[in-house]
Amino acid sequence: MKNKVTIIKEYTKGIWQSNPVFKQILGMCPTLAVTVSAINGIAMALATTFVLVFSSFIISSVRKLIPTQVRIASYIVVIATFVTIVDLVMKAQFPELSKSLGPYIPLIVVNCIILGRQEAFSSKNTPLRSVVDALGMGSGFLIALFMLGSIRELLGSRTILGFQLLPDFYEPWLVMILPAGAFLTLGLMLAFFNNLSLHKKKSDNDKLIAKYLKTKTAADFVIEENK
Amino acid sequence: MELILIFFSAAIVNNFVLAYFLGICPFIGVSNKITSAFSMGLATTFVMTITAIVTWLIYHLILVPFHLEFLEYVSFILVIASLVQFVEMFIKKVSQPLYRALGIFLPLITTNCAILGLALFIVLREYTFLQGIFFGVGAGAGFTLAITIMAGIREELDLADVPKAFQGAPITLIVAGILALAFMGFSGLISV
Amino acid sequence: MKTVIHMLLTLTFIGIVSGGLLSQISEWAEPKIEEHRKAETARAIYLVQPEAKSYERITNVDFEVYKVFDEMKNSIGFALPYEGNGFQGKIRLMVGLNDELNKLKGLQILEQVETPGLGTKITEENFLKQFLNLSAQPMVNWVKAVPPEKQNEIQTITGATISSKAVVIILNDGIKKLRDAEKDGGVK
Repeated sequence: MKNKVTIIKEYTKGIWQSNPVFKQILGMCPTLAVTVSAINGIAMALATTFVLVFSSFIISSVRKLIPTQVRIASYIVVIATFVTIVDLVMKAQFPELSKSLGPYIPLIVVNCIILGRQEAFSSKNTPLRSVVDALGMGSGFLIALFMLGSIRELLGSRTILGFQLLPDFYEPWLVMILPAGAFLTLGLMLAFFNNLSLHKKKSDNDKLIAKYLKTKTAADFVIEENK
Repeated sequence: MELILIFFSAAIVNNFVLAYFLGICPFIGVSNKITSAFSMGLATTFVMTITAIVTWLIYHLILVPFHLEFLEYVSFILVIASLVQFVEMFIKKVSQPLYRALGIFLPLITTNCAILGLALFIVLREYTFLQGIFFGVGAGAGFTLAITIMAGIREELDLADVPKAFQGAPITLIVAGILALAFMGFSGLISV
Repeated sequence: MKTVIHMLLTLTFIGIVSGGLLSQISEWAEPKIEEHRKAETARAIYLVQPEAKSYERITNVDFEVYKVFDEMKNSIGFALPYEGNGFQGKIRLMVGLNDELNKLKGLQILEQVETPGLGTKITEENFLKQFLNLSAQPMVNWVKAVPPEKQNEIQTITGATISSKAVVIILNDGIKKLRDAEKDGGVK
């Protein structure tokens, strides 16, 4: 059964079908906190993906050696180790970025996406699959954070990635870069995507009904009614 | 005086949930009923206070003297995880009613980023031991306040005719946004 | 029993590997982080003391302050990093002062968490340039909504009065502390 899921599917499911932010509502805290600008969102998502991929690789490789009773503790230590690595490397190489992400880098440790993927996927799958899954989830996270960051940056400070896109007479909508703006934007985005899937479901249903109706002739209905 | 300021700053002005986005998972997950939201808040406050004490001691008595600051995250999260486990066992032994009230929420607290965030903030802001405790209690009180208000609103929302696409998380986030706007009115009140 | 040993062994092993790895990486990163910190301080000092060519940390006081020199190694003043409470959190300043501690050479905001778009205007050139060659005798003062008349006054930012005042208050506190230290036997 599991082998039927192709590697490609394993990757793409993280982007849309079970996107960590839009569909699973996981990892909210960094999602909301750092997305005042698109570049922050990208940096946060890349850091998270790095931790996710390496933790998934290590944990799926040794998954059979870890006793079940201490698995969560072991996962946490592995994750925290990689987070410290990211933190130190960022402080050493990209001090500006590390400053603007502030204490949210160490908080990757408690990002539910990471622990969730270890528990739900890496502990039961091969390293290859786990890494692909982690990359998919990371990409989904990146897309979500980039979208949210771009919208907030555009409306809140007229720019995306530092390039001014809105004219000067547009008065920046300050609330967008304040905490309240994060909640509002994400809430509206979630509603938008819910709406999309509702429509999709509806049109899928319509298609199914149409298909069903095509296979039947009027005579069949008469028979059914008479039963 | 300064301690009281730290308390109110953490509880109201710089509310963990609405200004720092810490503890959003339980804030959205456990906020559909006032009673359970309030219990969750109490459990979190309890763990936060103990976390503030224990992590401060670990950082200043073990990590700093031995120059092991790079083990900060690993040790903090391990301490929090085992602390939650320990608190759970302790409450189960001591008081059954309390365990029934808080028990199911305790495991959730381990992955509540507000707890680790608290420990990190205490180190980052160089709080003294006493300041750390007040900060912990204040943050917990702020969390309880936010999640209880949220639950109160959501109980009313259940009766409202929310568009289908907005049901669940979207409307919760939007309400949280409006709450965050309201809490912004407190900024400048006290600043620490 | 066997599982307990297995559990302990696993955790110990993970702990040792993690600790070892992290200590290696931290050894590599630590000097670089320190370097960035120094570079940042240096950059701020040269911004608030434009004529400065070198600086030295003053060691006989219990707070951070730097003595600043021109190219002839003559002392031209002080650079003082100082922090206090703003509207929403800490504001950290770098203050440039002359030798007599009665005139500002410049001001930079090192850290702040003020309201974006309003309080953050304190980091803008328009506000900061008011502090160039401002008199600090007896103290720096602020006026609201009208252009300053006296030598020691600055105008607060519209919509960010509290943040502007906070900057002045922190600044005055810092100057007072340095003056007191000077009175108590001088800073070297």
